Amino acid sequence: MVIYSFYIFDRHTECIYSKTWLPPPPAPGAQPQHDISTSTTGAAVASSDPHHHNPNTLRSSRSAVSAANKASDDAKLIFGTVFSLRNMVRKLGGEDDAFISYRTAQYKLHYYETASNLRFVMLTDTGTLSMRNVMHQIYINLWCEYVVKNPLAPVEHKGGAGVRNELFELGLNQFITGLIGQAGGQR
Amino acid sequence: MTVFSLVIINKAGGLIYNRTFHEGGLNKISTNDYLVLAGTFHGVHAITARLNPVKSAPERPLSNSIPGVPGGILTRPEPPSGLEVLESENFRLQCFNTLTGVKFLLFTDTTQTNVDVIIRRIYDLYSDYVMKNPFYQLEMPIRCDMFDRKLLSYIREVNNR
Repeated sequence: MVIYSFYIFDRHTECIYSKTWLPPPPAPGAQPQHDISTSTTGAAVASSDPHHHNPNTLRSSRSAVSAANKASDDAKLIFGTVFSLRNMVRKLGGEDDAFISYRTAQYKLHYYETASNLRFVMLTDTGTLSMRNVMHQIYINLWCEYVVKNPLAPVEHKGGAGVRNELFELGLNQFITGLIGQAGGQR
Repeated sequence: MTVFSLVIINKAGGLIYNRTFHEGGLNKISTNDYLVLAGTFHGVHAITARLNPVKSAPERPLSNSIPGVPGGILTRPEPPSGLEVLESENFRLQCFNTLTGVKFLLFTDTTQTNVDVIIRRIYDLYSDYVMKNPFYQLEMPIRCDMFDRKLLSYIREVNNR
């Protein structure tokens, strides 16, 4: 079992939490050299950076910026996909039907929606069985305990405020590593 | 084990065939809604192919295979495929995307097995009775009696198994 990433979307369709367990992209040395063209973001990052003579730091900082952009784009694409598929499923299967998962040749996406329209999405490899109960557990044991019951967390998590707290992060990491360890032991 | 319905979408995302085999499996929706569904699915299918989290190692086979590889044929990684199977609580949707970009969507109940075999057989029927029909215009809605008849008898056989 491999888990690639995990997202939480609130009822205002905003991505309030995302985490990936993907391996880092290939080392900057392996990249082709032609990407040293100047761009506004790259220049701004480079001028604020004391080591701006080193092309490697410039490239890695720019790739960090583009990786962040890509991550937020991915979150938007994922939300659009699950939103469309959920509506399609509801139209065909009736109001009580629920979209569970889809699979392509490369990965599998699992979906879980709570009564308050909080949406959990998890990307795993294709062989993984249903992760619905796992996401239900995350909702009960982590979200409710560490985010909802936290008196300092706001009601609406605009920009992810209140979700990225230490206990939630720690709990999620422990839960997922435990899950993967368990699956590995069974195999 | 029941096959509910079949939808065929052309490479531009237009609905070209739509038939229900079993009443009561899925909600009845109008032809207009089916057209919307086909277009939506076409778009979502393209996005799901792009969302692939697994990045293949770039350029590695190229640099390795140049010296001393017999034949010298460069291996190309499989292109990312879009959505293949969708599961919900009440039904299962299998999508078969042909090399020419036509999509066959088969809606079945959640316990149906061997859906890929059924869908290949339907593709065979499509090739035999739609593509070989001299009066069929490409990308246009399928109105071929022979296809209808063969498809209905095949699905009836599957549903009565």
